[in-house]
Formats: sequence, structure tokens, C-alpha cells
Amino acid sequence: MRTARLRQGLMASWSGFILLIVFWQLISSVLITDSSLFPGPVQVMRSTMQNLALARLLQHLGISLQRIGLGFAIGAVSGIILGVTCGWYRTLGSVLRTPIELVRPVPPLAWIPLAIIWLGLGESSKVFIIFLGAFFPVFTNTYKGMTTIEPNIIRSAQMLGLKGSRLLLRVVVPATLPDIATGIRVGWSYSFGCMVAAELIAAQSGLGYLIMHARELGITAIIVFGIVLIGVTNLITDYLIQELILKRKLRWHFLGTEQV
Amino acid sequence: MRRSADKARSLKRKGVTDFQIKLITLLGLLILWETLSRLGYISPLSLPRPTRLASTLWDLSVYGFPTDITVWLHIRATMSRIVQGYLLATVVAIPLGLIIGRSYLLERGTNPIITFARSVATISLLPLAIAWFGVNELSRVLLIMYGAFWAILTNTIQGARSVDTNFINVGRMFGAKRSRIFFRVILPATLPRIFAGLKIALGISFMVIIGVEMIGTVEGLGALIQQARFFYKSDMAIDGTIFIGLLGLILSVLLDWVERLLLPWAVGLEEVKR
Repeated sequence: MRTARLRQGLMASWSGFILLIVFWQLISSVLITDSSLFPGPVQVMRSTMQNLALARLLQHLGISLQRIGLGFAIGAVSGIILGVTCGWYRTLGSVLRTPIELVRPVPPLAWIPLAIIWLGLGESSKVFIIFLGAFFPVFTNTYKGMTTIEPNIIRSAQMLGLKGSRLLLRVVVPATLPDIATGIRVGWSYSFGCMVAAELIAAQSGLGYLIMHARELGITAIIVFGIVLIGVTNLITDYLIQELILKRKLRWHFLGTEQV
Repeated sequence: MRRSADKARSLKRKGVTDFQIKLITLLGLLILWETLSRLGYISPLSLPRPTRLASTLWDLSVYGFPTDITVWLHIRATMSRIVQGYLLATVVAIPLGLIIGRSYLLERGTNPIITFARSVATISLLPLAIAWFGVNELSRVLLIMYGAFWAILTNTIQGARSVDTNFINVGRMFGAKRSRIFFRVILPATLPRIFAGLKIALGISFMVIIGVEMIGTVEGLGALIQQARFFYKSDMAIDGTIFIGLLGLILSVLLDWVERLLLPWAVGLEEVKR
């Protein structure tokens, strides 16, 4: 009964997806005459293959991934370190959190002009924007995890004689890992959006630039292809991160809960 | 509860409140910034000092930048775009989400489309919107709508899906008709989740509009800071960024307030695992 329903659901998923593509193709070939402005799936693939060399496409993809990898890594690492510090040392935390919380309501994209003024039009301004996208979710979640930790865990560890940095690194930080993982996933999707925007507004390479440039050239098919590619890349990377962190490193956390 | 008690105890011990520490830090940072700037350690071109920013604030609100577009007009332009796109998204997404969420097959069938549509970066649709509709208000409003739509839709679906079956059964037992169950049971039970979606959507709209305004317009806060960048007026760019942060803060506080007003039963939702 249950498996039958699940199978039905799976069928519905696939047919929904396939229906959408068929529907898109039908609309574009039946209703719309101007296929260069409103291309269907077939035209998108054909026109992209004609106008965009695979090597160039991979180059743009590579540059984007490089930027987001660097910016995200810096953002996540500093977010975790600062979040743990602010959670562990109360007074120092209050001091450090003042500037962080003042800056937090500003969406990362609003930093683009200042990033360009401060860092120029090179790689560092894009990496900075991506860094901001990752930093705040990771920091907020880490800090939240540190401050809402179950006190009995700490008390038990203290009773067993753990103190200082060993208590922090062996007990408190591992207990915070689920929240850190949440922050990392949210941070990844934020920095992904930041990367696209930064490349759209101020770059000469990358996926964002690819679609903005395609608009200047008037090749709508490449724009559509680029949008889909960005979406797919986002989906795949998000899935990989989820698999890597949540399933492997944190299996203990999900054991015995529904989320397995 | 536990946390605040712990906190109160520790603060009483130290004799200073968290707020005092933050205030001192803030003042200290401002003074440090001003002094370093006056001593010439910080270039006034890239990071103007606080007093300079304050006087620029006056210029921005009276004379405007670019000339005659005061910061209030920028805020109005940004807000009007957000409101239009946000309302459009809300009006379509909530009914749709309720319908999809109440049907298992519909939910499964739309799931991959929604998952994919959500992972498409909204801002990446900007070139397409420009190609289709041109560089105009319509493009901007539609992009905000897109960004807000999926957040509201997914949360509404989740909410409608996870309505406690007992609520519905009780309604049935009392002989309520389908429509009555829908409006009196399912909708109220979904509202807290809808509000969670509305909050996320507001953040997304705000982020999207700032990015969108940086291309092809001179009105709006995003345009203000981008124009300031072109003319290397870092004081205007910083002031504009501060305004953006303030506006974002006000909007989220406002939505929290509306939520508490409309959903008194959802207080403490943050504490509930969902």
C-alpha cells in the first residue's frame, strides 16, 4: 500500500517534469512564431551548440566554481570561527557581534559598489561578495547552535573532568555541528546567488557574465541555456554538500530520527 | 527560558548589560574610525569618516543624487517595486500552494519543477527579462515576483501538507462541509507556515531588487549606490548602503509585528520543531 503510493508519487514526479518540457516545446513551436526570442528546448540546445564552444562554456563554469569555492570557503571558515568564539566567550562575543549585527541586515548584493570601490574590478571584489553571502548564515547558525546547546552535555563533560579548549573542541563544537551544517547549506545557496549577481553586474567571465553577454549579442537561446545550467549546477552542488556533510559526518545526529 | 535566566545571572555578576557593552563598542569603533581617518591612516576617498558621512546624509536627503533624486525618492521607487512584485507573488502563490499541498499526486508531480525553479538564481533571469520585456519596471517587478513566489509557494505547500489530520477529522465529525473545513481548519492551520514563507520571500525580494536596480535605472536604492560607484562618490555609496540596511531591518520588524497581530496562536513558533 505504502510502496504503491510512493511509486505513484515517483511516477507523478517524472511525468510532471517531462510534461513541462513537452509543454514548453509545444508552446514555442505552435503558438510562438519568433523562435529566436522565445526558443523551445530543441532550439535552445541547437542554437547553443552552434554559438558556444564547449571549451568556452567549461571555462566560464570553471571560473565561476573557482570564485564561489574560494569565497565560500573563506566565508564558512571565518563564520564558524567567529560564531564559536562569540558563543564561548560572552563579553568578547558581545563586542564582536556589535559590528557583525550592524552589517547583517544589508543584503550582500548591496556591497557590490563598495566592494568595487575598495577592491577594484578584479577577482577579489567578486570573492568578497560571495564571502559575505556565505559568512552571515554560517555565523548566525553557528552562534545560535553555540548558545542553545543542551547544558547537561556540558555539565556531564565537566563532571568527567574536561576543561577549557578540550571541552570546547571535543564536546561543545561537535554538539553544534548540526547547526553549522544548516548554516553551510543556507550559506552555499546565498553565495551562489551572490556569485551570479556579481558576475552579472561587474565581470568579464563566469556564468553570470555568459548570460549577460548573450543578451548583448541578442542570443536568447544561450541566456535560457545559461539559466538552466546555473540552476542545475546549484542543484548538484547543493546535493553534494548535503550528502557529504549531513549524511557522512553527521550520521550520528540523524540516527533514530525521521531524517535518515 | 533557560538561556535568558543563565544570561541574566551572568550579567548581574559582571554589573554591565549586554546592551552597554554593545553601545560602548559601537562608540569606540566610531571614534577609532574618525581618529584614524583624521590622522590620515584611512584614505578618505575609499572610506570617508563618520562626520563626512553625516553631512553627506544631509546632501542626499535635501539635494539628492543624481541631482534632484533625493534618497526619499529612491526609497519610494524601491519600495513600490517590492510591494508590487511581492503582492503579485502572494496573491498567486498562496491559493496555488494550498491546492497543491492538499493533493498528494499534485504535490509529487509539481515537486521536481518547484525544486528546480527554486534553485534557478532569480537574478540570473534578469538578462532574459530584459530580452523579453525590455529594461523597464515590468522586468523588475516580475523578477521580484519570481523570487518571492517560490519561497511562499513551497512554504504554503509544506504547511497545507502537514495539517494535523485530527483537526480535519474533528471538523468532518461535526459535519462541516468541504469548503468550510478548508477555510476554517486548513487555512488557519497553514497560516503560521505561510508567514514563515512570507518572511523569507521578503528577504529574497529585497536582495533581488537591490541587484536588479544596479542595471539600467537611476531610481531606487540599488541604482543610487551603483551611480555613486560610477562617480567614485564612496560617501554616497556608504550612506546608500546604510539606508538599504535600515530599510531591510524596518521591513522585517514590520512583518514580525503583523504576524504577532494576525497570528496570536503562532507565538513561540520558533521554539517548535518543524
